Amino acid sequence: MDVYEVFRRSGHKQPFEHCGTVTAPDSEMAMLMAKECYLRRKEGQYLWVTRRSEIHSWSDEALLEPAADKSYRFAHAYRDVVQKRELARRRAGQLG
Amino acid sequence: MTYEQRLTDFRHYVGAGGKVEATDWMPDDYRAGVLKFIEMHANSEMMGAIPEREQIPHAPSLQRKMSLTAKVQDEVGHSQLLYRIAEDLGKSRETMYLDLVNGRSKFHNVFHYPTRHWGDVAVIGWLIDGAALVTQAALLESSYAPYTRVLKRICAEEQLHLRHGEDITLELASGTDNQRAMFQDALDRWWLPIVHFFGPRSNVDKDLLLRWKVKTRTNEDLRAEFLDRYVPKVLELGFSFPAPVPFESGGHWVVREDDIDWAPLDAIKRNQGPETARRLELRRSTYEQHAWVRQALAEPATQVA
Repeated sequence: MDVYEVFRRSGHKQPFEHCGTVTAPDSEMAMLMAKECYLRRKEGQYLWVTRRSEIHSWSDEALLEPAADKSYRFAHAYRDVVQKRELARRRAGQLG
Repeated sequence: MTYEQRLTDFRHYVGAGGKVEATDWMPDDYRAGVLKFIEMHANSEMMGAIPEREQIPHAPSLQRKMSLTAKVQDEVGHSQLLYRIAEDLGKSRETMYLDLVNGRSKFHNVFHYPTRHWGDVAVIGWLIDGAALVTQAALLESSYAPYTRVLKRICAEEQLHLRHGEDITLELASGTDNQRAMFQDALDRWWLPIVHFFGPRSNVDKDLLLRWKVKTRTNEDLRAEFLDRYVPKVLELGFSFPAPVPFESGGHWVVREDDIDWAPLDAIKRNQGPETARRLELRRSTYEQHAWVRQALAEPATQVA
């Protein structure tokens, strides 16, 4: 018996999401178990199962930390628009 | 890093609201404590299906029979979800099943009592599921993350069960004198076990699970919330409570701790409740009779030409 990770998706606009695990001897039985455990009330229309051993992850979560300041990738880096717009207006007023 | 250093880091992490995953490092007594707690919860869902199952043949209509059957299936389903995450903490499902039937692990007190008639289904479905929902909703904040994810699903289904139980209760409450007497009779028998359900007053200094934030609220706190929420609803329907009789005090519904007879709960903790032996025997024989199913399912499918 293997542990299978279960993913489901509720529609075409949603991504697949991890919803739990089951134990099963093969993927066919894992699908059946997953359906009984996680789709009893139409919580999704699509189902994936995959052996836990096939899932790869960081062994060191510190690797997820960005190596340098990359705040420019986020909206909050650009939130002082109000002041900047004011500066720009003043500058525009100085034009001959 | 030494064990002591890791322990200190872990304590700070959990203390600051950090969540723990199955693959994270955790202190031995955290692992053991969470495992025992989830195993007991899983056992309770499994054993909790039995009392209601007993009443399926006595359902008053086909609709009621189907909905109660579905609810029993949900409860067994909850136990499967919980055993699965308990397994990830290092104990095999088979060992957990065997420990349960051999009396080495426990299940919740309310499932050690007999059911007599359809009135019991109303009380279990409304008040016991209501009590369970109060405790489970509090556990959504637990420090053990895989548990909280499973609980999210369980709580959603328990909400439905609560509606189901309230629906049955309201039908009896608005029915004949006989139907009302059935609910009152069931309430008289179940009230003390329901008050016990939350457990005796928590010892905050000694309770490891509280310290590790596996549990986030004390037993008496949860009991207080339950009483406030449900006592007025029962009284509104014209039913009355046996001892410990709840009363209003300072804007809250409370019971006097001295009015609670703890002896029946102590007996259940030793697995000596009124129905303990019979239900565990049923569980054992079911487990044995179904061995061939487990065996058949354990083999990978072979292609037949």
